[in-house]
Amino acid sequence: MKIIAEKINGTRKRVAQAIQERDAAFIQGLAKEQAEAGATWLDANAGTAPQREPEDLIWLVENIQAVTDTPVSLDSANPKALQAAIKVVKKTPMINSISLEPGRIDVFPIVAEHKCPAVALAMDEKGIPKTKEERISIIGRLLEKTRSMDIPDGNLYFDPLAMTIGTGQENALVFFETIREIRAKFPEVHVTCGLSNISFGLPARKYINRVFLALSMQAGLDCAITNPNSKDIQTTILAAELLLNQDRYCLKYTRAFRAGVFEE
Amino acid sequence: MSKELVNLVVDMREEEAVKLAEKLLAEGAEPLGLLDDCREALGIIGDRFAAGECFVPELILAGEMLRQIGALVKPKLEASDAGAQKKIGRIVFGTVEGDIHDIAKDIVVFMLDINGFDVMDLGVDVPAAKFVEAVKEFKPQVVGLSGFLTLAYDPMKNTVQALKDAGLRDSVKIMIGGGQMDDNVAAYAKADAYGKDAMAAVTLSKGWIGVK
Repeated sequence: MKIIAEKINGTRKRVAQAIQERDAAFIQGLAKEQAEAGATWLDANAGTAPQREPEDLIWLVENIQAVTDTPVSLDSANPKALQAAIKVVKKTPMINSISLEPGRIDVFPIVAEHKCPAVALAMDEKGIPKTKEERISIIGRLLEKTRSMDIPDGNLYFDPLAMTIGTGQENALVFFETIREIRAKFPEVHVTCGLSNISFGLPARKYINRVFLALSMQAGLDCAITNPNSKDIQTTILAAELLLNQDRYCLKYTRAFRAGVFEE
Repeated sequence: MSKELVNLVVDMREEEAVKLAEKLLAEGAEPLGLLDDCREALGIIGDRFAAGECFVPELILAGEMLRQIGALVKPKLEASDAGAQKKIGRIVFGTVEGDIHDIAKDIVVFMLDINGFDVMDLGVDVPAAKFVEAVKEFKPQVVGLSGFLTLAYDPMKNTVQALKDAGLRDSVKIMIGGGQMDDNVAAYAKADAYGKDAMAAVTLSKGWIGVK
């Protein structure tokens, strides 16, 4: 299970403040703790107005790279910001994200040129699709485009876009079925998603989120955008990988136990 | 006035609430009385939502119950004398461009409707130009702008500006409401007021039209 660590995101008040004030220590702290928790990529989202975004994104990347070698995920829909930031990365970054929305067309060449892995959202100019079939159809069209640019299927992390269960009680089932169909139709691609949208508007969200994570993993999710420092997430991944026969001799689980991961 | 009906709606007991509404109407209860019960229930539900005691799916169910009870009541209203609902005013309502949230909007539209307003609901993701067109044709006294996220702020501002540019700003009062909206946003958008819930929308509109 790969993790895209989500905390360095300028749409969060405290992070926005740190970016504004150039509080390097705060950002470096977040980078270090997420890296130490085993994140595969550290997402960096400047969350700022388009004119400021390139310099803010560069600043974030520089501070992340000051404290860890874990590769960065450049989280922006703005090709100018991506082009600026990609000049300062030390390792090939993840690009978060591409889609069939008209505004993101110019991101594809960046992904192709630098051979980046990329999160690919299953949406187009019509917004978030209502059905599984529409999602699969958009993913098919996305793959036509990426394949025509020689972007390997294995570099793509499709996000089937989970909708909140509060407004549609069938939304999680649709989501799981979509994952299954993606893995069946396009065996080389990966599937990723954010873990908290599903419980938006409901109380006691962490219980919903962690069961959603486990059920998604069973359906074929192999990457998540989440908080790697959350005990809930860590323990859920350990237990789910164990049950899905992804933990030889249960070693990851028992080692985590001895390291105190399960202590309350 | 049926305390039982109010309680059933507040407790989200959809089937029982609708059955009771049917029974009461069949026994000759005042249609407007049932709508008052809905109003009261919605007020309580709104308070609970604000207090974090009930949640989005329950708002959706409340809207659904209102629709069903409203559908039972309306034909009786049109038939009865007391309920010859002369419309007290016209309102154009919609969720602004870029925002697709409609649960609360639908509840507000329902409340305005049962309080005697003729409401033109433009739906969601409504561009400023469409608001302008609707105001030109429908000639409302009030325009209601609904928005859930912060991305609604600028579309609200733009809609108010578009009405000004079309020379229509002085002919209407504009109210805003929804999720991330507040008095500051109303000032930013140059709207006339912010309403924190469906009842506020009704009170504001009645006040502007000069009805008690």
